[in-house]
Amino acid sequence: MRYVGAIVALAVTVVAVVMLRDATLSTHQDVDPDSRIELVLRVRTNSVEAGQTLDEMAEAQLLTCRLEVSSDPVSPLEDLGDGRFRVELVPSMDETDRRQFRGCLEDFMIDHVQTDVERLEPVG
Amino acid sequence: MKAIAWLAGLATLLVGALYMVVSLNRWEWNRALFFGLIVLIAEVGLATALILRRIGQIAPRRDVDPAVLAALRTTRPARPNRFAWLEPNQLNVFITFLVGGGVILSGIAWLVDRIAANTTTPAGEEQLARQLGPISYPQGGLLVDDVTVLAQAVPGCDDAQLRRLLRRAGTGGRR
Repeated sequence: MRYVGAIVALAVTVVAVVMLRDATLSTHQDVDPDSRIELVLRVRTNSVEAGQTLDEMAEAQLLTCRLEVSSDPVSPLEDLGDGRFRVELVPSMDETDRRQFRGCLEDFMIDHVQTDVERLEPVG
Repeated sequence: MKAIAWLAGLATLLVGALYMVVSLNRWEWNRALFFGLIVLIAEVGLATALILRRIGQIAPRRDVDPAVLAALRTTRPARPNRFAWLEPNQLNVFITFLVGGGVILSGIAWLVDRIAANTTTPAGEEQLARQLGPISYPQGGLLVDDVTVLAQAVPGCDDAQLRRLLRRAGTGGRR
């Protein structure tokens, strides 16, 4: 009975590791170079250093994370109010890039900033 | 209280591991690292607690009758001095060891030297002879013999191979 439990635990572990590997594997597809993707962010800050503004923080987070994908912003970061910002990037992103970009934006990248991605969808 | 501490440790470990996997799945590497660190801390804490608990379980088994222990301690034999031969008045033993060790080491060194001389020297000579082969002089030397030189002077003899041979040999060197 003990061996059965061990085998089941081993099988579950192996399946979980394989699933995690698949979930974190980069599988890129071709993207139309003229396509666009829209990003809407909600940015919150806490105990910000003096002189640093919310839009500076949002821009820093965006510029940091765009280095992880091959898309670049083609418009300035538009302040929608209430801590929300909008920007368009070219070209659009495949599924892997979208997950990576979203993960980066919502990750602990810069101190005192927390970003939530409200929208990351192709436009046009 | 202990149960609460154990539960807190286990919950930290499990929830930390869960969030680490979730963060990895969301491509949030910094969060994953942070939760991995939490898991590591909880794991070390739990392992330390388990070891301490185990030691605590073993300790009561060491309870012994104090009278027996006292009797054993009072009748303990004197500890022998295993390094008495190192004391200043016992140098004869030390010198014996020193000289004997020197003789043995010298014997080993002589043996190694003999083996090396009988194996590496002939092999080295053989290898050197092989390496000298490609740059050795050809059989018969580099100079053209007299018969070949005189053959060119024979009237009516126009041998292209002979002329090429004499040019290569360098007629200037044959004086």
